[in-house]
Amino acid sequence: MNSMTLTSTGSTPTAPTSRRVFGAYLAETRYELMRQLRNPGIAIPVLVLPVALYALFAVAIAGEAIAKDPGVGIYMFAGFAVMAVTMPALFGIGATLAMERDMGLLRLKRAQPAPAGAWLVAKIACGIGLGLIAYLPMVIVALASGKLALDAGQMVAMSAALLSGTIPFCAMGLMVGTVVSGSAAPGYANLIYLPGCYLSGMFFPLPKSMHWQVQIWPQFHLDQLAMHAAGATKFQFEPVMIAVVSLIGYTALFSAVAIWRLARKG
Amino acid sequence: MKDIAASEDRLHALDAVRGFALLLGVAFHAALSFMPGWPPGIWAMNDNSPSQFLSDAAFVAHIFRMSLFFFIAGYFGRLLLLRLGTGAFWFNRGKRIALPLVAGWVVLYPLISFIWVTGITKVFGGTLPPMPEMPKTPGAFPLTHLWFLYQLLLIYAAVLAIRAIVTRLDHAQKLRRFVDKVLAGSIRTTAGVFVFGIPLAAALIALPTWFYWQGIPAPDQSLIPQIPATVGFGTAFTIGWLVHRSKDALILLSSRWIQHLVFAVVATGWLIHVMHGEPMATPGTTKTLYALVFGVAVWSWVFALTGAALRFLSNYSAARRYIADASYWIYLVHLPVVAAFQVWVGHWPLHWSVKYPFILVASFAMLFLSYHSLVRSTFIGQLLNGRKYSRDKGRTPPPPGSTPASPAPADTGNGAAVARLRGITKRFGATTALAGIDIEVRPGELLAVLGPNGAGKSTAISLWLGLIEPDAGVVTLFGGSPHDIARRRGLGVMMQDVEMPKELRARELVALASSYYTHPLEVDETLRRAGIAQFADRPYGKLSGGQKRQTQFAIAICGRPKVLFLDEPTVGLDIQAREALWNSIRALLADGCSIVLTTHYLEEAEALADRVAVVAKGRVIAAGSVDDMRALVARRRISCESSLTADEVRAWPGVVEASHDAAKLQITATDAEGVVRRLLANDTTLTRLEVRQAGLNEAFAELTREAA
Repeated sequence: MNSMTLTSTGSTPTAPTSRRVFGAYLAETRYELMRQLRNPGIAIPVLVLPVALYALFAVAIAGEAIAKDPGVGIYMFAGFAVMAVTMPALFGIGATLAMERDMGLLRLKRAQPAPAGAWLVAKIACGIGLGLIAYLPMVIVALASGKLALDAGQMVAMSAALLSGTIPFCAMGLMVGTVVSGSAAPGYANLIYLPGCYLSGMFFPLPKSMHWQVQIWPQFHLDQLAMHAAGATKFQFEPVMIAVVSLIGYTALFSAVAIWRLARKG
Repeated sequence: MKDIAASEDRLHALDAVRGFALLLGVAFHAALSFMPGWPPGIWAMNDNSPSQFLSDAAFVAHIFRMSLFFFIAGYFGRLLLLRLGTGAFWFNRGKRIALPLVAGWVVLYPLISFIWVTGITKVFGGTLPPMPEMPKTPGAFPLTHLWFLYQLLLIYAAVLAIRAIVTRLDHAQKLRRFVDKVLAGSIRTTAGVFVFGIPLAAALIALPTWFYWQGIPAPDQSLIPQIPATVGFGTAFTIGWLVHRSKDALILLSSRWIQHLVFAVVATGWLIHVMHGEPMATPGTTKTLYALVFGVAVWSWVFALTGAALRFLSNYSAARRYIADASYWIYLVHLPVVAAFQVWVGHWPLHWSVKYPFILVASFAMLFLSYHSLVRSTFIGQLLNGRKYSRDKGRTPPPPGSTPASPAPADTGNGAAVARLRGITKRFGATTALAGIDIEVRPGELLAVLGPNGAGKSTAISLWLGLIEPDAGVVTLFGGSPHDIARRRGLGVMMQDVEMPKELRARELVALASSYYTHPLEVDETLRRAGIAQFADRPYGKLSGGQKRQTQFAIAICGRPKVLFLDEPTVGLDIQAREALWNSIRALLADGCSIVLTTHYLEEAEALADRVAVVAKGRVIAAGSVDDMRALVARRRISCESSLTADEVRAWPGVVEASHDAAKLQITATDAEGVVRRLLANDTTLTRLEVRQAGLNEAFAELTREAA
């Protein structure tokens, strides 16, 4: 049995003010964001790719189809938007966390008096923040090109749904980051992420024979949540509650694996 | 003594769990006016904005909250019985449980009735419908929410009776040891959650009418014990009691909390899913399965929450202590307060997501206020919690046995160690990294820990930093646990094999580390002291190896540490940078900072250290001043071919060790010249004489051999 004494106390005269603690969270978040934006390996594919693909496919190639059926415009926008908001969460968190574990940085933070959850909050805030940075140019392109027939309320609802949908992918990133090593992390992240993008049917409609498997992919549920928020009834394939519950379930599952790994390996 | 300290830590966690279960009860009752589909009159108010979400959330809370309470009550029950003995136990329970039950009921029942009548009148649009009469069965009595105290008294009586029988029959403790083993095994394998719920499931299956939502029906209408509650809560109490018996159960629970949480979430998800399809049980497979899964859910929640609390809330926190103390009073008196708010807001044209939080916040505010002003420092607090807090103390005094966490060495007592390892053993698999080591760091000194690779130096540092836990022994930092963040605010650290994010500049890394401390240096001042100002605006990834180490040193000193841990700080530095770092270290020492420095290099210890501890193979093999260590390394190795025997030579002055290997005589000497003179004088045939300075590693190796 570990007989180390764990006696401890509450506040002391030298305890920092809550403002300072908040400041520590803020600093952690700020520097996390800076380092991810400065890392071209993360910033370029994650921030530029989705808007570029959207502009190419939805605006240039499928422009005519969208003119015939505005629903297609919503469908395509939602697909690429899911990609935009989820990639920073998964790759930003997964790759950096795996690297930091290899670098011993997490050990250092545990030794330093860093607030226990600061790095985690910083990573999640960055995942959501970068998701927003990747998403906004898409909105601008969509509105400027007139390929998105949504009113302001639907637009806001869909954006809120998409951004809150980054949370399960943050958890997925945490899972990848805690399970694999730094050099392998981007590879594994792609391995579990890319199939979901295609097999969930969010970029192009799937043949009926493949419908049975779409529910496996978290991307599908986020896409569905966006469809419900936008009121695109034609593309709603599951009730909104199922989408919400599935996303919460994935968050719980991925977080549990991450916590389990962190508890064991630190 | 150690065990007591450790068990006190656990009690903090269990207190927190009990407080949580009770406060969760308040949140549960606060949700009951929002239940969709409840007929009017079943609760004091039917809100005009019902919520399926609150209904499900209340169901989840209701699955485990009372079982959790009884589980903890069982644990504390045995603790109290052993501490007090049977007579004093009953006297104590009479004061703390029976008296609040009676007095509470007398005061609360009229209040609750009044609010119910007001609320139901409001629900029925101004006229009170005929109230249902109490069932005319023997023992019928409206216990209200205080039923749990009555149930607890019944269970105490039953368990003490069973205990008396068991101690009489089980003289050799065979049965009890077997039960302990089964309990530990079932927690270790997580099979417990599937087994412990079976008695409850059987009682639920036997219920003629069972709405799934109600879980274990509350025995609040009768003084006659109800079977499901008595079986369910009795099992919970018993398992809690047995967990207190077991040496390992709590440790196992704290390491299995995630597994239990996963079971809890999955089982609960299934329960909710089935309940939505069919709210009332009909006899058949579903009902049986439902009851069994319900039992699994109960136990997985109980174990998951207890385990998580043991894992994360084991240290003393004044805020948690306050809440835990307040929770008993709050639960006792909450019902009229909560119901009054529910009645008040019931017809407001607002969404439940506004009203429910309002009820919670307003109720808790009133209840905590009432605790603070009426209970905490009065005889009621004395009665309920066994302790009366003095009013003039702003904050809760720490429990006996704990020491204030102050990074200031002055507060650790005169001459007391700033950091100490006492009797530490640490193994990694089959390797013993530290074998019963004792080291202490005194205020204002630099302690150099010298030793070859793999000696255990970094392990010792990791223990002080709270990164790993010892297998045996006590680690202290500023007189307490290094896990306490308040203590870690007094330390600075530079670890081996750590890389910082390459995209950030040195200045940014220092600014980030500074944000963790209460009174850090100005960033520019840190950069100046560490001598890195000239490259502070370059990305870390572009710095040379030496510059990176200097940046890490800056990170270590930015928080004005009272104790600084430097693990091989000068590896990779050129001579100039090393000199600069030594000067910074001297300046820190002059400011009163204590420093622990591990190194390979004796000259580093010579240049800086007040004391040196030599570690090898997990043990301190020599400790003392730098001069003592210099004498150790001043040894020289003499080898020669000679007819003299090792035994003869060993007795000579100046000889530390002598041995014969193969053809040669090997001698370790402190006075090589004297020994050589005598060798040549005593053996004229002596050949192949060699004298070498023993390197530090050699000196260590020899010391280790001597120590073995």
